[in-house]
Amino acid sequence: MLNNYLVNYPVWDLGFLGGGTLIAFIAVIHVYVAHFAVGGGLFLVLTEIKGYRENSADILEYTRRHTKFFLLVTMVFGAITGVGIWFTISLLNPAATSILVHNFVFGFATEWVFFLGEIVALFVYFYTFGKMNKKDHLRIGWLYFAFGWLSLFVINGIISFMMTPGKWLSSGNFWDGFFNPSFWPSLFFRTFMAFMLAGLFGFVTSSTVKEKALKNSLEKYCAKWLLIPFLFLLASAWWYVSSLPEPQKLMILKLSPEMPPLVKTFLFLSPLIFIAGVFMAIQMPGYVKKGVTFSLLIMGVLYLGSFEWIREAGRRPYIIYGNIYSNSVSAKDIDFMINNGILKTTRWVSLKKIDETNRIQAGHEIFRLMCISCHSVGGFVNDITAATKKYSQYGMESMLNGMGKINEFMPPFPGTNAEKKALAAYIVKELNSRKEKLSSEYSIIPIEPKIPLFDPSKDKYILLVWSGKGMHFISDNNQFFSISQPGNTIYAQLIKRGKTPEIIAGSLRMTYRIEDGFNTPSSNSNFWQYSRSFYGRRINDNEGFSGKKTTGEMDFNESLMAYSAGDLPVIPYRDDGSFVPFPLVYVEARDSKTGDLLCSTGVSVPASTEMGCRNCHGGNWGRKNITGLSDETSLDILKTHDRINRTDLEMLSGNGNPEMCSNCHAGEQPGTGEKTKHLNLSAAIHGFHANYISANDPDPCRNCHPSSGFTKSYRGIHSKSGLDCSSCHGKMEDHALSLLVSEKNEGKSEAEKLMKHLRPRSADNVKQIEPRKAWINQPDCLNCHVDFKPPETDQSPPNVWTKDKKSLYSSRSDEVGIMCPACHGITHAEYPASNIFGNDRDNFQPVQYQKNAYPIGANKNCKLCHTIDMTEEIHHPNMLAIFRNIY
Amino acid sequence: MDIAALIPSPDTIPVHWVWFKVLLIITFMAHILLMNIMLGSAIIAFFSGLKKSPDSSTIPLQKDISEKTTFVIAFTINFGVAPLLFLQVLYGNFFYTSSILMAAYWLSVILLLIIAYYSAYIYKFKFETLAFARIYFIGLTVLLLTVTAFFYTNNMTLMLSPGSWTKYFAEPSGTILNLSDPTLFPRFIHFVTASVAISGLFIAITWQKKKKSGATDADLNIKIGMKYFFYATLFQVLTGAWFIASLPGDIMLLFMGKDGIGTIVFLAGLIAAVVSLIYGFKNRVWPATWSAIVTVFFMVIMRDMVRTAFLKPYFAVEKLKVIHQYSPVIMFMASLFIGIAAIIYMIRCALSARTS
Repeated sequence: MLNNYLVNYPVWDLGFLGGGTLIAFIAVIHVYVAHFAVGGGLFLVLTEIKGYRENSADILEYTRRHTKFFLLVTMVFGAITGVGIWFTISLLNPAATSILVHNFVFGFATEWVFFLGEIVALFVYFYTFGKMNKKDHLRIGWLYFAFGWLSLFVINGIISFMMTPGKWLSSGNFWDGFFNPSFWPSLFFRTFMAFMLAGLFGFVTSSTVKEKALKNSLEKYCAKWLLIPFLFLLASAWWYVSSLPEPQKLMILKLSPEMPPLVKTFLFLSPLIFIAGVFMAIQMPGYVKKGVTFSLLIMGVLYLGSFEWIREAGRRPYIIYGNIYSNSVSAKDIDFMINNGILKTTRWVSLKKIDETNRIQAGHEIFRLMCISCHSVGGFVNDITAATKKYSQYGMESMLNGMGKINEFMPPFPGTNAEKKALAAYIVKELNSRKEKLSSEYSIIPIEPKIPLFDPSKDKYILLVWSGKGMHFISDNNQFFSISQPGNTIYAQLIKRGKTPEIIAGSLRMTYRIEDGFNTPSSNSNFWQYSRSFYGRRINDNEGFSGKKTTGEMDFNESLMAYSAGDLPVIPYRDDGSFVPFPLVYVEARDSKTGDLLCSTGVSVPASTEMGCRNCHGGNWGRKNITGLSDETSLDILKTHDRINRTDLEMLSGNGNPEMCSNCHAGEQPGTGEKTKHLNLSAAIHGFHANYISANDPDPCRNCHPSSGFTKSYRGIHSKSGLDCSSCHGKMEDHALSLLVSEKNEGKSEAEKLMKHLRPRSADNVKQIEPRKAWINQPDCLNCHVDFKPPETDQSPPNVWTKDKKSLYSSRSDEVGIMCPACHGITHAEYPASNIFGNDRDNFQPVQYQKNAYPIGANKNCKLCHTIDMTEEIHHPNMLAIFRNIY
Repeated sequence: MDIAALIPSPDTIPVHWVWFKVLLIITFMAHILLMNIMLGSAIIAFFSGLKKSPDSSTIPLQKDISEKTTFVIAFTINFGVAPLLFLQVLYGNFFYTSSILMAAYWLSVILLLIIAYYSAYIYKFKFETLAFARIYFIGLTVLLLTVTAFFYTNNMTLMLSPGSWTKYFAEPSGTILNLSDPTLFPRFIHFVTASVAISGLFIAITWQKKKKSGATDADLNIKIGMKYFFYATLFQVLTGAWFIASLPGDIMLLFMGKDGIGTIVFLAGLIAAVVSLIYGFKNRVWPATWSAIVTVFFMVIMRDMVRTAFLKPYFAVEKLKVIHQYSPVIMFMASLFIGIAAIIYMIRCALSARTS
């Protein structure tokens, strides 16, 4: 049992006022008045001096009136809201407040002395105005300003400490904490702000002066107070940002999604306030100036408010940087909490264990303890319901997994997996009242492929055709973006049967034809409509990228000794509207001279739009409730990308110019091979998402790839044998890390951000992960099938990849030139494969030629091509065996 | 539920706890006397204003209070900051917790104080022009300050009763008050009554000074002040008895024989109170004042001892861990010295400006 609790205090369950709404409100108001009080102190005494110097009783009377205004505003409202800040921080974050109080008690005590001096000075100054001799009265005024500015000096030390604690983090020394890295720029910034606000508030009282000449001269005078410090303010602001350590600076300038509107507000208001100030200095009707004064008051609070909010947001995820997070978890305790859980390490929880009956209640307690500090419930600040509306239970759990790993303005989730699930359940089911949608019953009607008859006694040829990929997804909501484009490749080898079979090359006309219902892909997909935006040129309707249509002729590839037709425009939506992710392509081999049909066969070609982004990105399926990206999902993907990376993809798509992901995420320029700035697409997308969806999901791949959902593209013998994606490709973290290591080695610093929190699953250390290039360095079948024998392991060893494209299974041939997939079927659909449309759709050629679903020539059926039995293992070692996986 | 498990762990302190205890007692005493004057004078002005006396004999009294109240509020709040700081250093783990449990009420004090303070300014600046309507403003001030005092009493007692803290799990939205605590109401009434008593003395002192400067209606007001002091202090004996009887038995007994120092402090306070009553009856303003201050001093000590006793099962300030850092203390002492010197100078200037 734990003796040391790590999170000590109860949390005020504020609901819609949560997320720091109260402190934002009280603090900005107080700081506005307080800075006015500091600057106003100097304003009063200098204006009094001006009165004496110009021998003007009117100016002195104005000064006295302004002092009364000053007294009523700062003494009551200013002082009490200052106490209000103290009350509020104690209520919203007692742990951090306790740290400040216990470390800086004598700083606060000193500040108190200055407050007392301020109060006495201001009372004396006002109530003896006109009754005290000039010299003494001015001295009182100077003393007021001195005490006021000194109290700013002290509180500035403590506030700037919270953002940049500097050496205090290791020394715990009062002076290290007080005179921290941003102390001086912050002090200068606030001092100049104080002078400007003195002028701004001066307009309030000067606007009530009746005598016109005096009014104008006072307004000019106040305008000087507003305008002269301006340049110094902006210079101090620049100094302030420069003084910040790298993490805080990055958060403000690049990383925090809250920042852009705040920074824009600050920068936008700067010239506006300046212009308003100039306005006040020139002759204008009284009512105009009253209007400008009023708007200046509003602009002033927005100006200072935006600065304070930038400062607070720049500190995230901490409340005292590097020491304690905004949710009161100490930085040093977070790993312990992740391992032991929130419920065991906090005092103010009623549940200590989670089970089926109390999951939502546990989630509620966890939410209150860990999240309310930044997230209101339905309120103005970071409303949790708005932020999480799109998530399913799975999506919410994933979000909690990835929290704080890439977007570091949030801390990592400080609890166990069970606690994550409980919190997710509370947010999704109770706060968002979301009902999990049961997947719809889309009935699959089996399709009968038209398999030609084969007579082994008479037919002279065997035509083998295969798809270049066994699994292929295309993103179908092209008006928003395109991550994967339509385009399938098919290959064919024609074998002349006989004692010594021959691969026929040349003098052949190999034609292909996609089955009926798929021949007008442009009418079933908006890819063509946006192709100019993706490629810079419009691809003709119903044509592929290289010009091939859905029917046509295949080309002979010398190096492969096979025919191929690439970039075929295959869209999985049939003309009748049904979703068929495995259209059949029928291929005919004819003698190019005589035109005689030598052989014909068919092959299923995969193209699925079943991308599961909606699990986290909200929305429903786009089509038929089983597939396709909906508008809502697509838009959220763009919004998320824009928010995190400061892109403008949403705007571009709104203007009809959607982007193709691989344009920026090319990795290297096609053609020149020059390295591009951004990570290649595979590294970026796997690297990013591995932070969110890998850890607790045994099959994260199905979230994006159409492997095991409705489409079930992963459907060959390996799937049947119980292997999953990671058996060959490795776990997602390793899959991502190998790609990222490769990018990092090529100098792309973006990789580090994604790698930082990924722990390898197959190694102790990321240093042990070898770099890998997508589509090139892949698992080699021979990793497990050593010497083409039955494998002795179910796990392809990590770091062992094909060394180039030519070594890929899909590019290799046996000893005599027959390509591997010709006999064995393509990856993910190795014979025997099972297709959701049944009837051996994927086993077209084995069924056609040998009436079984096994690889061509399996079970010593060499007769199929050789017409006689064979004893030599010429194609590859260990091939003369009985197919052992009989299903 | 294990109560002790709910009590937050305290942070370390930079110097020996005695420093903070002494500072706490001194600044609290200054605050409580100022608070007494603030609240009590407002109450007295309000009730005086209620009586529509045809000769308006209490108008000068009310006027004088109206002029002073805004000052007293300012200093009460300022002198409240100091003990609140030292309270958090020594007892923060209890105080922050109780504050959170009653957060909605606790934070409302800020708004109540702002309104009460502005209301006092209106009462002051518009005293004549408002005429009878002025009692609405001073009445509002009295009401809001009394409610503030009630919330303070709740917090100060709730922080001492960790046993009540489990209410949080049914009410986590900051709406818990300590109403079931038997010490709450006697404590609250004891402090409010004290305000009337101390203010009576303050009024008497004020008008005695005015008498020296030649005011003609001073005697009446001195008598009024002393009367308030006398009867309020008499009533205090009753409320005090109620207060001490409401304490848990073993804590009450500390002051009645079980603990040597506790008993001496209580007896000394009682004796000083009786002495002040005698002087009060005899209208001896300054002797009554000094003995009242002595009474308050012993009562403040007693209050601290009550706090220590309530917390004893869970906590003792001596157990706080010290990580020494003396230089900030030096800075504070230096600023205090300079600050006091400057304040004395400014007050001197003000006084000589008044007489010139």
